[in-house]
Amino acid sequence: MQLRKIAFILPLLTFAIVSVYLYSALYSDPRAKESSLLNRTVPDFQLNDLMDPTRQYKVKDLKGEVTLLNIWGVWCTTCKAELGFLTKLKEELGLRIIGIYYPLDVDPDLDGPLDLAKLTNNVDKTLKAYGNPYQFNMLDIEHQLSFDLGVTGAPETFVIDKHGVVRAHHMGDINPRVWQIKLAALVQQLKEEE
Amino acid sequence: MMIPELGHIFLVIGFALSLLLAVVPLVGLRMQDAQLTQTGPLFATLLFAVTLLSFLCLTYAFLTDDFSVLYVANNSNSQLPYYYKITAVWGGHEGSFLLWLLILSGWTVAFSWLSDHLPADYRARILAVLGWVSIGFYLFITILSSPFERTLPYFPVDGADLNPLLQDPGMIIHPPLLYMGYVGFAVVFAFAMAALMTGRLDASWAKWSRPWTLAAWAFLTLGITIGSWWAYNELGWGGWWFWDPVENASFMPWLVGTALLHSLAVTDQRGAFKAWTVLLAISAFSLSLLGTFLVRSGVIVSVHAFATDPGRGLFILVLLALVIGISLTYFAARADNLRHTTKFHFLSREVALWLNNVFFSAATLIVLLGTLMPLFYKESGLGTISIGEPFFNEMFTYLVVPFAILLGIGPLMRWKKNGISKKTAMLLLVAVASVVLSYAWLLLRGQGIEGLALLGVSLAVWVFALTGFQLFRFFQQTGSLVKIKRSHWAMLVGHFGFAAAVLGISMTMNYSDERDVRMLVGDVVNIQGIDLKLNAVRDLNGPNYSGLVADITAIQGNAKYSILAEKRFYKARGMIMTEAGVHANLARDVYVALGEQLDSGSWVLRIYYKPLIRWIWLGGILIALAGFIAILDPRYRRWKVKSRATVSTVEAEHATP
Repeated sequence: MQLRKIAFILPLLTFAIVSVYLYSALYSDPRAKESSLLNRTVPDFQLNDLMDPTRQYKVKDLKGEVTLLNIWGVWCTTCKAELGFLTKLKEELGLRIIGIYYPLDVDPDLDGPLDLAKLTNNVDKTLKAYGNPYQFNMLDIEHQLSFDLGVTGAPETFVIDKHGVVRAHHMGDINPRVWQIKLAALVQQLKEEE
Repeated sequence: MMIPELGHIFLVIGFALSLLLAVVPLVGLRMQDAQLTQTGPLFATLLFAVTLLSFLCLTYAFLTDDFSVLYVANNSNSQLPYYYKITAVWGGHEGSFLLWLLILSGWTVAFSWLSDHLPADYRARILAVLGWVSIGFYLFITILSSPFERTLPYFPVDGADLNPLLQDPGMIIHPPLLYMGYVGFAVVFAFAMAALMTGRLDASWAKWSRPWTLAAWAFLTLGITIGSWWAYNELGWGGWWFWDPVENASFMPWLVGTALLHSLAVTDQRGAFKAWTVLLAISAFSLSLLGTFLVRSGVIVSVHAFATDPGRGLFILVLLALVIGISLTYFAARADNLRHTTKFHFLSREVALWLNNVFFSAATLIVLLGTLMPLFYKESGLGTISIGEPFFNEMFTYLVVPFAILLGIGPLMRWKKNGISKKTAMLLLVAVASVVLSYAWLLLRGQGIEGLALLGVSLAVWVFALTGFQLFRFFQQTGSLVKIKRSHWAMLVGHFGFAAAVLGISMTMNYSDERDVRMLVGDVVNIQGIDLKLNAVRDLNGPNYSGLVADITAIQGNAKYSILAEKRFYKARGMIMTEAGVHANLARDVYVALGEQLDSGSWVLRIYYKPLIRWIWLGGILIALAGFIAILDPRYRRWKVKSRATVSTVEAEHATP
């Protein structure tokens, strides 16, 4: 009979535990998935160069230098708007900026194969018009790296330290204000790190 | 105009009335004052009246385009057709919560009117419990979530429009039906609490609470079925169930409710499973509340979720903790009083129904874990996981096989004793015949033999055949279809419905076909022997949208059908919506969604072939119908006359504690 009594308390206990979790979930942002990547190494990847498909990059190509990893596309107006300021950062601070090109319309069923020639032509025109901050661009054709990084849209920028570890994730464009408030000090500090 | 303020005042009065409903009948019981004890129905009626008036005030604000009311401005638009203005009343968080309250007070008043045959103390307690539940929710809507808040002094010229996803006939009835189900479990919950308070839980308790359980459950079944149908038509993915957290939130009370129905049958007929039945009654309503919390607190990401702030979420969580916490504490303390001493054989119907409950509970736990696990993971700092369709589909495949086998056999078993062993040979024959027939049918269909489809179809045939056999036996016993008891009809119809759903699901999941095509006007494509010709793509002008409609002719053998697939652009919200074109019959759906136009001038179309998908909803409707048939069983009414005599004795018992 004792066992029976204990069994009757089980539902209450279960509910109590569930409530604790529900309470804590209330105050955390369900969309804050990307934060889980903070302070972790960039996930493994293998991507082609946007302009030169014979060149390939891996995660080791990001290491050794403080880097801004910038997600962008020519279809994204805000991305174009930040090209100018990013170019200035590259020129004035000597900061390395690497682009992850996020193509749209790449559903092989609906859209057919990607017209690479047309795309590179567009990219070329855009970079000539607004400025080219990139050391190189990687074509994330299957959105795999973007997915692994927890990208929710473009533009987004990751600050990567010398060991390839994600130290900041910024959603939206980088402008002088954002740079001063959120990123400048961090980048400076990372540059001084060993 | 002060109509919105009036609406708010009605809700405040509602709060006061629910306080009275919660307290006065209990005080009457304590003071043994019969008049006070019987005030419940009065307060319940008034509560319903003010809630209805408040609801009408909000509806009026929508119909008159009163954009000075924030909620109206956010969810309506002057161009919206009047019928969608009415349904927009529950298109957002605040208004749908008002609908929730309207339905809660509706169930309360329905119970108070239809319960005069119950012992007075029982009735008073049940109404008081409903009053306690109401207090919290009326407090919530008046303080934190009033739909009558004004945008004054700077109100907009026009509204932001109702979310286009919700501008669909399915959406007119889906939420009210779903809430009828969710909230209807409040009455069952109140029954369980009254049983725990008094320690009295007998066969008559089960008889009293059964029709209420059936009603809530039948509405919930319909609500879920229509929700699935709406998603299929409106979301443009050709899917009918997505294991979305909010779908799961409605599925869990349904699973528990189904278990409860079957367990109530045992409590009713045999006086067994009492504590378990009470726990299920509490759980059904608790899971409904949990669903409300999940949808409205923003803790999970879902297409259904309402955007809301943590303050509201916290309030609902506190309510949840109070209602569920108190009831489960009560259960832990009192359930031991609900003993039963019946004995039954291992192969008796009691055991079959017990197994039924095991399956439904396991299914509920799977859905609960699958829904909450990502949240547990994240909050425990273990990173993120996502649990999706593959997990649920696999787990449910494991569950449904033994369950369907049991469902075929269970009703043939007898109460208390072993009556099934004699039928072993017949059962084996039916089993073999089911597999052979299914195999032959799949072969004839010509889409090949898929293992899982063969399994599913065989199970459906098995359930169908054995349920048909029971129908035959009932017919033999009574000599006429009309004389078969309604409760027996209900069981048969419900089980036929289950077989239909299993058939539809196994066929749709294994034999659906899908084409992504680009077509110029005049082109023809073929899918599963059906030719589809794109005749034209025309402009489309709706009241609050513009768009394109693809005019398609489907040719199957000698038959020709017209299919219209629309793409709508809703101006006020700047949203593009796919309104799929579907030609449906019992054998298959042909489903066309219109995509973009390419530079070459051709159109992108997505075409689905969905065999027997209608059977899924047909099954759902049959199952819901079963619930309504069962309520009509005369024993719930005949019993009413008999019980009059016992009321006085129970009251007398209670008067001398």
